[in-house]
Amino acid sequence: MNHSTTANGTSGAPSSTHEVSTKAVEAEIRDRADPRQVLADRVAQLYRQMPVAIGATFIAGAIATYELQGRWLQELVLIWWAIVVTYSTAASLLLYAYHRSADKVASAPQWLRWIGIAALGNGASWGLAGGVFFRSLSDEQQVFLAFLFAGMAAVGIPVYAASWPIFALYAAGILGPFFYVLITFGNRLFVEIALLVPLFYAVNVAIAYRLTRVFHGGYRLRHAYGRLAEDHRLLNQRLGQQLVEIEEARRQVEASGRKLALFAERAPIAVLELQPDGTISEVNHAAEMLFGYAAAELVGGPVKKLVRPEFHHAFDDSWHDLITRRESISGLKIRNPRRDGIDLICEWTITPLVNFQNEVIAVIAQGRDVTAQLEAERMKKEFTSTLSHELRTPLTSIIGSLQLINGGVMGNVDPEIGELTMVAERNSQRLLDLINDVLDIETIESGKLTLAPEVVQVDELVREAVLLNKAFGERFKVRFESHGDQPDRRVYADRKRLLQVMTNLLSNAAKFSPEGSAVDISTEDADQSVRIAVHDRGSGIPETFRTRIFGRFTQADSTATRQKGGSGLGLAICKRLIERMDGRIGFDGRPGGGTTFWFELPRHAA
Amino acid sequence: MPNRPLVRICYVEDDEDIQRIVRMSLERVGKMTVAVVSDPTQAIQTITDFRPDMVILDWMMPVMDGPTLYRQMKMRPEMKGLPVVFITAKASQRDLDELKSLGCAGTISKPFSPKDLPDQLRAIWSKLP
Repeated sequence: MNHSTTANGTSGAPSSTHEVSTKAVEAEIRDRADPRQVLADRVAQLYRQMPVAIGATFIAGAIATYELQGRWLQELVLIWWAIVVTYSTAASLLLYAYHRSADKVASAPQWLRWIGIAALGNGASWGLAGGVFFRSLSDEQQVFLAFLFAGMAAVGIPVYAASWPIFALYAAGILGPFFYVLITFGNRLFVEIALLVPLFYAVNVAIAYRLTRVFHGGYRLRHAYGRLAEDHRLLNQRLGQQLVEIEEARRQVEASGRKLALFAERAPIAVLELQPDGTISEVNHAAEMLFGYAAAELVGGPVKKLVRPEFHHAFDDSWHDLITRRESISGLKIRNPRRDGIDLICEWTITPLVNFQNEVIAVIAQGRDVTAQLEAERMKKEFTSTLSHELRTPLTSIIGSLQLINGGVMGNVDPEIGELTMVAERNSQRLLDLINDVLDIETIESGKLTLAPEVVQVDELVREAVLLNKAFGERFKVRFESHGDQPDRRVYADRKRLLQVMTNLLSNAAKFSPEGSAVDISTEDADQSVRIAVHDRGSGIPETFRTRIFGRFTQADSTATRQKGGSGLGLAICKRLIERMDGRIGFDGRPGGGTTFWFELPRHAA
Repeated sequence: MPNRPLVRICYVEDDEDIQRIVRMSLERVGKMTVAVVSDPTQAIQTITDFRPDMVILDWMMPVMDGPTLYRQMKMRPEMKGLPVVFITAKASQRDLDELKSLGCAGTISKPFSPKDLPDQLRAIWSKLP
């Protein structure tokens, strides 16, 4: 309350921080306390005091009636007594009605009005007594009545303290008529007393005003505290809830940590946990097995123990890079010496773990021994290279010799011998094709195929393919017919590889077409791509073979292989080549018999 | 294009069978004059003596491979303008790029057709400055 006084008064230093904080506190109290609740509390306080007012009025009224009766104003006194009784009854009924009312908060202003009216009535009833009776009383009785008025006015202070305007009305009701009677009495003493009446009235109203403020402040504080307590309770509840959630989150983190540790421990790959300075803080079982060290020998030591000394300098640079850039590295191959001195080549995935401040707190290194794998790859590559050279060199001699004979360079040979050398040349060529196909598929599947894409005019490419395969078609008595002449139909692809695909499709079509028939080659635009299709009039593809047609070493049946020749790799190579060039390949049965093989490549915009 | 026809060829190859076929192809089909060298270490001497229009080198040979021999040739001022063609069974794109970077006149991949070989060499010859 002291604070409140300082804050409201004008004497405080306006710039002091204390006052600012007091104001802040007041503002907070005002914000928190609901004014309707505060009013309702004040009204309740007024009604609580009502029995005192009723009782005092009734008893004082009874005494006054007793004192004043038996005089010439007998009837008036009884009427006055009847008014007092009526007031007491009405006030009691009001009190009863208030206690019965359901919503005292919402209807508080209305109850306040009613008690104001009751207070005015109460005061007025005493005022009436003063106005009517005072002049005709004896001196003693006048003292008695004056004493009674002063007493009743004083009783009003505690009774109506919760609302000073009600007290002002009440006291005015009592003292107003009394003042008038005194001032008009014609007695100097009474005039002097009369002049004191407004003074006392003013003092009493001022006291009531202060009391009202105290009540108001008190109730406001009470409500603010209630709200604060409620807020505090909710806050506590929320805090409790959050604590439960945090505890749950902690349990989950712990569980996933355990799971992770289990994974790392049982994983077949070596897992090392490193500190930002490169010190090993943990290793799993696989790491122990791989490098031949016990965990205790590695933990606490530098990870450079697992790097050959001549690479320590390069390792330091890379490590510094890793810690600075905080990005994980994968597929890193490092030569790691085992405890027994033998080198392993391991492929590492290295992941720096970063905290919220973006500082590296640990580095996880996961390594896999790829020594054997690399060796196998090297051997495979060497084998492929050897196969390529060692098979092609003798074939060069064989095919070259046969071509010199069959080409007539060596002069005429006996027709029967010529027939045999033709067979030999054809089959050598077949062997060569097979070797080339095997090398091709190996190159594609090992990811070593390099394409040389360029802008290719599609119809021109088709004409070139037809020209190149004309002789092959003639062997099977099949003609190739191409339609389409659109110079702006272009794709961006490897020309040599496209010709290889075309050659495959055309030779397949020729092999499986009836003698004397035609193979049609069409080109068309399809949405964002260009479609090239080869239509034959063969017997179609057997149902059971359709799903396997683009697989490796597949042919419809072995009879076909013997009859038609081929490695069974052609379509597998075509599919892989077309897909590498972002296209797709497929086939459809034709309604009139025969098959259409097609491929689509993204169209090249001019 | 050089203003004289392609006639004198020096061929360095360790495989005797292929030597024979190439010689027959060039002499009989192409009507050229051929000097064959089996031992790459003797190649420089033969080229100096024979004074060919063009040299054909096998890529893979024991003792010394084609590219090594080619580098040695390039170090000699008198052989600077001499066109060199490689015959190779390793026809990967990377190998072809490597050959091109060495400044060779052309490549012919094994197996080649002996009927067409003289024409292939003449096509390379015609593209020379």
